Amino acid sequence: MITLRVNGSTLETDSDPETPLLYVLRNDMELNGAKFGCGLGQCGSCTVLVDNMPIFSCLTPIAMLADRDITTLEGLGSIDAPGPVQRAFIEEQAAQCGYCIPGMIIRAHALLMRNSAPDEAAIRDALEPSLCRCGTHMRILRAVRRASEGFQEQTSAARERNR
Amino acid sequence: MTARGQWELPRRELLKGGGALVLYFTISPARLVAQEIAPSPPPPPELPGSLSEFPFLDAWIRIDSDEAITVFTGKAELGQGIRTALTQVAAEQLKVDFSRIKLLTADTAQTPNEGYTAASHSMEKSGTAILHAAAYLRRMMIGLAAEELGIAADNLRVEDGVVISSAGERRSYGQLVSGKSLHVTVEDQTGAFAPENYTVMGQSVPRVDIPGKLTGEPSYVHDVRLERMVHGRIVRPPRSGARLVNLDTSNVDQMPGVLNVVRDGNYLGVIAEGRRFKRPPSGKEALRCRPIPVSTIISCNCRQTAA
Repeated sequence: MITLRVNGSTLETDSDPETPLLYVLRNDMELNGAKFGCGLGQCGSCTVLVDNMPIFSCLTPIAMLADRDITTLEGLGSIDAPGPVQRAFIEEQAAQCGYCIPGMIIRAHALLMRNSAPDEAAIRDALEPSLCRCGTHMRILRAVRRASEGFQEQTSAARERNR
Repeated sequence: MTARGQWELPRRELLKGGGALVLYFTISPARLVAQEIAPSPPPPPELPGSLSEFPFLDAWIRIDSDEAITVFTGKAELGQGIRTALTQVAAEQLKVDFSRIKLLTADTAQTPNEGYTAASHSMEKSGTAILHAAAYLRRMMIGLAAEELGIAADNLRVEDGVVISSAGERRSYGQLVSGKSLHVTVEDQTGAFAPENYTVMGQSVPRVDIPGKLTGEPSYVHDVRLERMVHGRIVRPPRSGARLVNLDTSNVDQMPGVLNVVRDGNYLGVIAEGRRFKRPPSGKEALRCRPIPVSTIISCNCRQTAA
């Protein structure tokens, strides 16, 4: 039995310890956010956060994840209440087929948590492991810049409150 | 009718005067002779877009008495934005608010079979069909309202799916369609609004599929989960040109959950219940029979041949 903590809720699973996390997320938990793309850690569409660090869930066995905090796309917001990065991507219409975007959003979120005002190079660097074959890159970059403005407002509001 | 008249004449002219030209392109001379002796009647003018294959109004639009409006397309949303664009077409020509239209895409049980979604044909074929079907339906509704109210159609206008007379009498599409059949041919294509009058088409509208795709709502085939759904997996060879020489499935057949091993020449696949496949087997792993959960399914002997 392995205990996984996903988006704040707990799942006890008797799956084989070497089962990649993605399979538990999609098949057992029926979460659609993380995608099976290449299954080889080369495309980034399966990216989720483990203790706020982006990982490839298609490669990471659940044996490594007991009692770690796992966050998927669903953990960042819902269709009725999208999170700040999701909102920015919707506002910029930053998706064509949309298959890679969960990974992009997860990586952008992780970046902005560390650094709410990343420069262009930092954004490109953070998103580099995620591939988009539709060619939505410029919109994706715009969306991350827009999300960063939201994060900066949040940060400065928090600073105001703490003063 | 004028269109048919215009079509007939040049075709006969061509058959009479252009025999030598036709000969160049005709494979069977017998057919050419037959044509010259008894020219077949000209085909009826083909309906535009996918109406040519699915001419019935109810193949494209359904209006329920509770005012629900459903538009059908046999094309799939692939990120090209047709959910949004086709809804715009329907909203424009029906004169119904964009948000009220439910668009059903590529459902084998319910939508026309429009074949592949490819080659930029979705708007051209499906969009054209929906445009004319919606325009035809709007005019049909106005006609029914005119009949009911006993006034000329010219005195009626449509606002968000409600036909309104100059005196302010109102009949909704849902009321008008009640008890009527929409199983009629969209034979008249003259009623569509012209581009200069568009208010919804041609406008930039946020794509309706994006919020769901960005928040993990079921949006892709992979997100379909059915009762008693089984899974198949192809066991791929280590490289191009490899042949499956020998296959022993005796140990596989005993495994719980395995329903069938399918072999067709070098093609090999396994069908199993639910979640038996705990990790994706690469062809290499499966064919080398490494002791991982899935590879143990098939014991096989693969000899590679030079390509």
